[in-house]
Amino acid sequence: MSVIRSNLIAQLTANLNNSNVSVSAELPFESGGNTLYDKNMKTLYVDEEQISQDTLYPVLDRTNLNLNTSTLNAFVTLDAKTQLSDINSIISNVLNAKSVITNTITSESDYDTEIVLDKITYTFEFRFEKTV
Amino acid sequence: MAVINVTSGSQAVLTLGNTDAMSLPGGSDALVIPLMQDVTLSASTGSTRYSTLDSSSSSAFTTVNENSVSLNMLLDGTVFFGAGSGTNTITNKGLLETSKDKTEIFWSVAFNEGNTTGEYYVKGKGFLSGLTPTASIDAAVWVTPMEIIVNGEITKVIVS
Repeated sequence: MSVIRSNLIAQLTANLNNSNVSVSAELPFESGGNTLYDKNMKTLYVDEEQISQDTLYPVLDRTNLNLNTSTLNAFVTLDAKTQLSDINSIISNVLNAKSVITNTITSESDYDTEIVLDKITYTFEFRFEKTV
Repeated sequence: MAVINVTSGSQAVLTLGNTDAMSLPGGSDALVIPLMQDVTLSASTGSTRYSTLDSSSSSAFTTVNENSVSLNMLLDGTVFFGAGSGTNTITNKGLLETSKDKTEIFWSVAFNEGNTTGEYYVKGKGFLSGLTPTASIDAAVWVTPMEIIVNGEITKVIVS
């Protein structure tokens, strides 16, 4: 497991303690045609870290300064008919978990939602940029 | 005829030293400036224009050259603030202190690697100036321009 994913899961677990949503360390794989977050509602799953590298400063001696961008998605599915009483706090705490990742140029998080039948899936995206 | 390629990290190199021999490409105890984004050699010929009644175009005569080497680089902490030791006083004191002290330094710019027969470099002496370190949230690292105000001639060398 990547260090960023591991630290993020630990912070999410702490932030969502005593809330109606729990955090799993499992990857959001599919089982029987359903993703785990569809199957296990009210459980947040964090996907694997995706890394892209771009050259930030090319230099003549070829010791270029590169920019690593790490992106992680997290998913949780809830009942769309009856929203959780602490949904605002849950969203806020998930978004704020980005602060655990330090020594970054930028730390960003946002989310969007998708409603299918009576389920609402929250997809959170975390983005971190570091120079290497 | 052929262009001068810059295709590896050992080409287009600025070397500094407190003696002429030290500042040549590959010189012993030389300070090779790292992390340069660009380097520019300026050999600007001074001129004065004058007009005469018998001509509808102005005439000109040349005056002295004003030579300089300018560059932009990412800041290397040891190179900028000094290693605190070494026979090369620029390495020892760093670029900032050498600039503040207005110490005359020797320099060379290798157009290729400057160490093989037929390769080119130019050399001279001068003063460090124009250090303007800048950091911003977008830049992510410290960057600075630098200029060597050349004192006297630029000497062309073709390695033989």
